[in-house]
Amino acid sequence: MLEYILKRTAGAIISLFVVITLIFVLLRLMPMEGYFGAEYDKLSEEVRASMLAEKGLDQPIYVQLFNFYKSLFQGDLGKSWIYRPNYPIVKILEKKIPYSLKIGVISMIFSLIVGIPLGAVMARFKGKFADKLGTAFIAIVEALPTAVLMLFLQLFFSSWFNLSLLFDKNNYATWVLPIFSISLLSICSYAMWMRRYMIDNINMDYVKLARAKGVSGSRIMFRHVFKNAFVPMAQFLPGSVLSTIIGSIYIEHLYSIPGTGSLLIDVIQLQDNTMVQALVLIYAAIGIAGMFLGDVLMALIDPRISFVKKGDDR
Amino acid sequence: MADKKKKLLFNRQMRRIDELDQHIQEGLALEQADKELPMYDAADYTAEQIAAIDPKWFEPHGFNEQDAERTAYSNYSYWASTFKNFWRNRAARILIVALIAIIAFAFIQPLLPNQHDPVTINNDPETGMHLRNLAPCSEYWFGTNAIGQDLWARVWAGTRTSIIIGLVVALSDLIFGVIIGMAWGYVRSLDKALTEIYNVISNIPQTLILILVSYILRPSMTTIIISMCMVGWMAMARFIRNQVVIFRDRDYNLASRCLGSSTLRIVVKNLLPQMVSVIMLQTSLAIPGAIGDEVFLTYIGLGIPTSQASLGNLVEAGRVLMMDSTLRYQLVFPAAVVAFITIAFYIIGNAFSDAADPKNHV
Amino acid sequence: MENYLQNKEVILSVKDLSVRFSLRGKSLHAIRGVSLDVYKGESLAIVGESGSGKSVLTKNFIGLLDKNGTIDKGEILFEGMDLAKFKTEREWAKIRGKKIAMVMQDPMTSLNPLKTIGWQISEALILNRGMNHAQAKAETLNILKDVGISEPERRYKQYPHEFSGGMRQRVVIAIAVACSPEILICDEPTTALDVTIQAQILSLIKDLCRKYGMTTIYITHDLGVVANVADRIAVMYAGDIVEVGTSEEVFFDPKHPYTWALMSSLPQLGEKGHELYSIKGTPPKLFGVIRGDAFAPRNPQALKIDYMVRPPYFEISPTHKARTWLLDPRAPKIDPPECLKRLKELENIESGDMDE
Repeated sequence: MLEYILKRTAGAIISLFVVITLIFVLLRLMPMEGYFGAEYDKLSEEVRASMLAEKGLDQPIYVQLFNFYKSLFQGDLGKSWIYRPNYPIVKILEKKIPYSLKIGVISMIFSLIVGIPLGAVMARFKGKFADKLGTAFIAIVEALPTAVLMLFLQLFFSSWFNLSLLFDKNNYATWVLPIFSISLLSICSYAMWMRRYMIDNINMDYVKLARAKGVSGSRIMFRHVFKNAFVPMAQFLPGSVLSTIIGSIYIEHLYSIPGTGSLLIDVIQLQDNTMVQALVLIYAAIGIAGMFLGDVLMALIDPRISFVKKGDDR
Repeated sequence: MADKKKKLLFNRQMRRIDELDQHIQEGLALEQADKELPMYDAADYTAEQIAAIDPKWFEPHGFNEQDAERTAYSNYSYWASTFKNFWRNRAARILIVALIAIIAFAFIQPLLPNQHDPVTINNDPETGMHLRNLAPCSEYWFGTNAIGQDLWARVWAGTRTSIIIGLVVALSDLIFGVIIGMAWGYVRSLDKALTEIYNVISNIPQTLILILVSYILRPSMTTIIISMCMVGWMAMARFIRNQVVIFRDRDYNLASRCLGSSTLRIVVKNLLPQMVSVIMLQTSLAIPGAIGDEVFLTYIGLGIPTSQASLGNLVEAGRVLMMDSTLRYQLVFPAAVVAFITIAFYIIGNAFSDAADPKNHV
Repeated sequence: MENYLQNKEVILSVKDLSVRFSLRGKSLHAIRGVSLDVYKGESLAIVGESGSGKSVLTKNFIGLLDKNGTIDKGEILFEGMDLAKFKTEREWAKIRGKKIAMVMQDPMTSLNPLKTIGWQISEALILNRGMNHAQAKAETLNILKDVGISEPERRYKQYPHEFSGGMRQRVVIAIAVACSPEILICDEPTTALDVTIQAQILSLIKDLCRKYGMTTIYITHDLGVVANVADRIAVMYAGDIVEVGTSEEVFFDPKHPYTWALMSSLPQLGEKGHELYSIKGTPPKLFGVIRGDAFAPRNPQALKIDYMVRPPYFEISPTHKARTWLLDPRAPKIDPPECLKRLKELENIESGDMDE
């Protein structure tokens, strides 16, 4: 077990390292007008050189990378260029992160509480009306592009329930729509997968044996099937943490929530490269952490995993 | 020569007459039998009736090997069965017809008479002013947008753009996903390396990669297609790889190998057909996925420049105006097309994948 | 043989049972009017090739028919109840485990992978015998010892993946025995196991049945298993029992052409240098109506009437009956294949799969 977790930790750290390097290098490969605007080519040689030197872009890329890592270990993500020129990015993020965190965590919990039982209920009543209704609903939410769906949610729900279109941190009523929007997608995917895994499990032999030994239908569902169906879900959960995050990028901007998600869109539109770099990095790190937690969670639930890994020399 | 031909023809006709004769004889015999033994089960006869059965029925019937096989003869064909199953699904049937009609119309529309150009800014002939935000009317069926372009033409132009993006991305996912997935699953020495690479990449949210790549390159249709292609193949490859690993060492592949099949043949003839259902589903979902991603990228400012209409920038242009209910049509029309196309692909994809699954064939 | 029925009481009686499955709009007639008595304390083997309906038949006894299957005719009488009329889970709860238990074919998949085997055996004890946890644990350890698992204390806490196939089948048997049922149904209990372990498992079941006084129904396509364990044999073909009798009757004096064909294809009866006998053709599809004797098209000795009318049962002895027109007085006298005579010379029939 410990061995498995250590191995997985090492994997996550390597991932993180590769990803950070990749993001950094990719951004340096961007055409220079991406950094200094469309006028860059028309500038004189000296002006260009001084602009590069000012940003530290005149050095070879490996030196830049080394400096970047050095400051990263000191908790410094660099300075913003355009969003708030020469202001430390960490300071900007300090104010933004709490909003995103609150909204993200609330949506996560909400969608878990609703989605998993919903899937279980649909599996229990497979083929009945409730199941069909749920399946149709999920299909619509899954099929429609998120961007369009969320737009109409905002448009109609705000007018039906007379809610504010925009977020106000002091008015909790304005928290409802964004959180519901972010949760909706996760709820649907949790419910869909949970239903699928439950049904897969119901058809397995061990369920037949459990029925043959006289275990009642609901006991089979809750004591046998549920946990087995939850194993693949456990691995799947962090993946949907990612989709929650991505959903939040769009939703935060749509409702003008002053979080990191809407910040990412703002700085993309402003072409503030260091800010984009810092934010993409943070999101990637969250993604990696989520995957890692998912694997650990699954190993905790399923006794087979650490066992198989031990003797796995195929 | 001619005689020989005549003789052949005559022989063939005689043979056919013989066959017909035999059929008639058999039919008559069966009819007779039905009269004498009307019921199929001895349990339906009384003891006297059984005792009264003519002894001639107790003569040996004779054995015919073809008859023995015929009972289980089945003219099963995978693709025929798949299409039959698919066609039986009414919703999918209606949607596929409607979808093909819409896509065909999107490409035919510019050739029709009396169509406006999607990029020309229309002026009022009397005042010479731009026809801004004109509500739908007989001249401009979907109205005009904020700078006076014909929305009807733009919606169809946008549909063309988005469909092309979707098709190119789906095709690339299909080709790269299947080839890489097959190699990944089948070639053992590649498995470890590719799995490690995948683990690293899959840790990053795909949308972030999409954003990053689109951000680095100049915004254009090509950029969008490239960034989506870079992301899309991974899910497909992973799926294929898992399936290949499951089926690779099954006995029938071992047997095939022992009979001297090449690796390519095993992959193409034994493994690929097994995955048709999964591949079709992934491919058909890639199209609405790409269309949706385009809308998203446009929203965050990385989409196609507005000079080229796409469903993404039409929805975005409509979104900006959506709070004014008189202008909401500018959001509703493109959004309705997006919604229809994506839902249609989603349902058709799922229906086809169900139909293609041999488990659902009787 | 005549006195087989003496002092025997019928524990379960199937009367004219008919089961249909609906598959994508088509109706499949899986069990076509089967009647069968099971006697208390005996061990009955139901043999037949794959798809002959032997599993489907016994699933009815325990209410585990697949969802798309329905009993459209007939009754299953057990302790004064008609199991064919049972609809709800609550009704079945009185039977499953408590009265009739089942050992499944594949031990690799029939245990819950996330629960310790101790938990899984105890569950049966707690639910069916109303024990508390401490009692259940003590009893579980006893049963584990009974089914031949050493170090039960340690094994109790282990998960199924830590057991080998044969060991898992012992656990599955332990679960079935834990319920102390009247009838134990063993659905191909050794098919998925190594040949070396098959005999151990069979003798284990045999011993346990004697010890706990259970009636056993084996479902198998392995005539070797049948020869080892069965008191009585029912031969199934295309959803129907074509011949039933005590083991000696069916082995040494079979009457139905299908039984002949079955026995002739035993590898032990093959002669060196000669091709092994195999039944020509394929079993019929069970969609739609089958006219006459289902085996007729594959039967070289078929009579004309075999193609027209389904034969009734002809009684050869009080325990032996077969469904074939060959036993009718008007039918020509046809002798069973020569090679069957050699069956008597074989003292001990070892495992031989009919399907292969």
